[in-house]
Amino acid sequence: MNHIGTLAERRAARLARATAATPPQPLRVRRAMADGEVVHIVQGEQYVSEDPNVVIATLLGSCVAGCLRDPIARVGGMNHFLLPGGEGAREDIGFGVHAMELLVNALLAHGARRERIEAKLFGGSCVVAGLTSVGEKNARFAEEFLRREGIRHIGGSLRGDSGRRLQYWPVSGRARQVFMGSTAPELIARETRPVATPKTEDAGALELF
Amino acid sequence: MSKTVLTVDDSRTMRDMLRLALIDAGFDVVQAEDGVQGLEVLQDVRPDVIITDINMPRMDGYGFMQGVRADVQNRAIPILVLTTESSPEKKVRARDAGATGWIVKPFDPQKLVDAINRVAA
Repeated sequence: MNHIGTLAERRAARLARATAATPPQPLRVRRAMADGEVVHIVQGEQYVSEDPNVVIATLLGSCVAGCLRDPIARVGGMNHFLLPGGEGAREDIGFGVHAMELLVNALLAHGARRERIEAKLFGGSCVVAGLTSVGEKNARFAEEFLRREGIRHIGGSLRGDSGRRLQYWPVSGRARQVFMGSTAPELIARETRPVATPKTEDAGALELF
Repeated sequence: MSKTVLTVDDSRTMRDMLRLALIDAGFDVVQAEDGVQGLEVLQDVRPDVIITDINMPRMDGYGFMQGVRADVQNRAIPILVLTTESSPEKKVRARDAGATGWIVKPFDPQKLVDAINRVAA
């Protein structure tokens, strides 16, 4: 690691590296901890880093966070996605596939190799009455995606009826979760928001050369 | 007679999604999981359109397209790049490697079918 420069300069350089690969990257480093920086992401976002001092944090209900890293390239990242309605609809699955592919490609752009990537999955719980199948659908999709793609699923925590505060150290692969009450107001508010799409400019349109 | 589309993508999930969308639209589909396998398939199959990803192991989309265009018999086959990438530099590189067009994921099945019919006409 290069430690030359001020904290702000190093932070800016890290953000520039982390955001170079794919468009949907949050730029909201909100606070510094004694042992590093915490980058908060929300639904529809992802973050990738090769900085061992960075911690990626998120709040999960029925959403799923995929935490992927290459232990040899020492780079990792987290996404946070929620499949829209429609049980099993192709469009919904495509939404999740896109979120996972963006994260995998961002790792590859930082020197990771697909066959070395290992994953932890978190979330997919049932925290709001009436949304019973949503968490299960997200959890099942994420597990199935890893299985089909041959990405090693080495751990995590899926399902249940409590929300989770999740922290993930993308270089070491360490993860820490704290369960929240299923009726936590912050969680209810997030669960009832519209689904956020990973933003991609001009998605699906043909550009002829 | 159905048009044949060769899809080249390292993601099994994405290959399956493309196959279902294209078969529904009446195309015949052949698949390859990277550029090396894509070139092997072209020894036996002459598709009407090729759809390829960029980020793939063994041989990426750029190398694959250069390999396709190196064979004079394949120079007229339209190649659409289907990728999560959208940077101008990568588009220029793809065009120089022989791409006909560029589509940013996530793909919309109807837009993709329209694009294929447009370049295969």
